[in-house]
Amino acid sequence: MSIDGSTGSWLVATDEKQWGGMLAAARHLGGRVTAVVVGSRALADVVAATGPDEVRWVSTTPDVPPEAYAAAVADLAASDPPRVLVSSADPAARVLLGAVAARIGAAVVPGMVDLAASDGDVVVTRAALGGEVIETLVAAGPVATVFVGDDVESGAPAAVAVVEQAATAADVRVAGTEPVGSATGVADAARVVSFGRGVRAKADVELLRQLADALGAELACSMPIADDLGWLEKSRYVGRSGQHIAPRLYLAVGIGGAPQHLEGVRDAKVVAAVNNDPDARIFRTADYGIVGDLYEVVPALIDALRH
Amino acid sequence: MKVVIVYTWARDGANAAVRADGTVDWRGARMTAGEDDPAALAVATRLAVGSGGTVVGLTIGDGDASWALARGVGGTFSVTDAPPLADNASTARIIAAAVERVGDVDVVVIGDSKQDPGVAPTVAGHLGWTALAGLDSASVVDGRVAAVRRSATAQQTIIAAPPLVLAVAAEADVDTKPGMKELLAARKRPVTTWSMADLGLAVADVPSAGTRKPEAVAATLFEGAPATSAAQLVAALRADGVL
Repeated sequence: MSIDGSTGSWLVATDEKQWGGMLAAARHLGGRVTAVVVGSRALADVVAATGPDEVRWVSTTPDVPPEAYAAAVADLAASDPPRVLVSSADPAARVLLGAVAARIGAAVVPGMVDLAASDGDVVVTRAALGGEVIETLVAAGPVATVFVGDDVESGAPAAVAVVEQAATAADVRVAGTEPVGSATGVADAARVVSFGRGVRAKADVELLRQLADALGAELACSMPIADDLGWLEKSRYVGRSGQHIAPRLYLAVGIGGAPQHLEGVRDAKVVAAVNNDPDARIFRTADYGIVGDLYEVVPALIDALRH
Repeated sequence: MKVVIVYTWARDGANAAVRADGTVDWRGARMTAGEDDPAALAVATRLAVGSGGTVVGLTIGDGDASWALARGVGGTFSVTDAPPLADNASTARIIAAAVERVGDVDVVVIGDSKQDPGVAPTVAGHLGWTALAGLDSASVVDGRVAAVRRSATAQQTIIAAPPLVLAVAAEADVDTKPGMKELLAARKRPVTTWSMADLGLAVADVPSAGTRKPEAVAATLFEGAPATSAAQLVAALRADGVL
C-alpha cells in the first residue's frame, strides 16, 4: 500500500550524505518521490542518477548557502504540498525542512530510520532516546522527518531530468571558508586505527602508530586526545565536530564509545574495538571486540598481523 | 539587538528508564538544560554585549526557569504548561508563539539538540525568519550576525541580517555551575509565566504506537589470552575482507 501518488514525498538534499538511505525509505512508503536539491548542478546530477521520479533543483553559488533559499523552497512546497518530507541531519538540510514543515503545517519527527504506509497513515519508525529504543509513530497528516538510518547504495537504469527552479535568496552570505588543520588521509582511508583516553601517555602513541602501520591504516583519535591533550593534530579526531568517516575497518583502541564519537564512524563497514571494560559502550556498536589491556593486546595484534 | 536564549525546553532522556519490554518510563525525567544550552547561552550573551543590546530567557515546561537567571540573564519568560512532545513542529510552535509575545526580538538562540534536531529550524519556519544551524559561535559585525560553523575540514563564516534563529551545537561541555552568590541573585530576577492558553495555543502530537528495544547487535567478543584473542580478531577481519 502506498500514500496518495499525487502528493507523494519530498526529499531535500543539500549534499550527498545519506541520500541512498533517504531514497530507500521513501520507496518503502510508495508514491511519487520528488528530489529537491539545493546546491550545485553536480549534486543535482548525482541525485538524478539514483532514480527519483523527478528532480527539482535550486542553484546555489559558493557565496550563498542553501539556507538562503529556505523561504523559496517553502513557497515551492506550498503550491503542491507533499505528504511526507525527508532531510538528512545536515544543518542546512534541516533548515530547509523546518521552513517547509512550518509552511505546510507538517509535524516534524526526528530520528527516522524507515517509512511505511498503512490505511492512509504514514508510519514513521524512529530511533529515540539516543538509539536506546525504536519507536513507531503514526501520522495521519503531513509529516517531515529527519533521517538517521543507514545509507545504502542507490542507482537507476536511467537518470531523470533535472528541472531548475527560479528562487530568490534571502540576505545570507558566506563570508569565508577556511580549511581547518592540515589535510590528512583520515577522511578517505580504507582502514583507520583510532585511540582514546585508554592510552596513558603521549609516548605510547608510537605503539598505536605501529599498529596502524601493520594494518596499512591511518591513525586517528577521539576528541580529547586532539583537543585537550594535543597528541595528534585536530584534523585526525573523529566525532561529532570532527571527522565523519566511512572506512572499511575502524579499529577503536581504548575508546569508551561516547555518542559524540560514534557519530563520526556510523558509516564504517566494520567496527572493531579493544577495551578493558566488557561493558564499554563501544561494544554495543562494534562488530568485534577484544576485552583486555590494550598494552598487551596491541602488541599481540601487531604480531598477529605480521604473521 | 534584543536576543532571546531558549533553554530547558526538552526532557533529559538520560533520566528516562527503558523497561525490559522496551517501553519507556518518563516519570523521573523533567525538562532540563540540554547539553547544547550552555554553548547557546554563551552565543546569546556575546551577541547582546556586542550589539549593546539585551538578552532575555525563554523556557517551556516544568524545568528550572532559574537556570539562565543564575548564569547572568536578567529576566526570563516561561510557558509553564507546555508538554513534552514527540512532534518537534509543535514544540517549535510553542516557542515561536512565545517569541512573538516577548516582542521586538532580533535574534533567537537555541541549542541545536541532537535529540530534537527539528525544533530550531521549525521555530524559524513558524516565525518566517532565516535560520542557521550547527553553529559553533556568532558575533556582531556592523549590525549583522557573523556565525561560524566548523566541520572536520573547514570553518565557514556566514553573515546574515536579523531577524534570525541561530542553533548552536556544543563541541564540548562548557557549562560552569553557578555559585551561591549567583543562585541568590537569580531569585531576585523576574520570571514571567504564561500558560498555553495565554498564548492561544492548543497543540497536537504525533501518536506513538509504542516503543521496543532495537534488535541486539552485540559485538562478537574475544576474551581469551591476548595472543589468542588477537589472532581470532585478525582471522575474523580477514574473513570479512577488510584487511
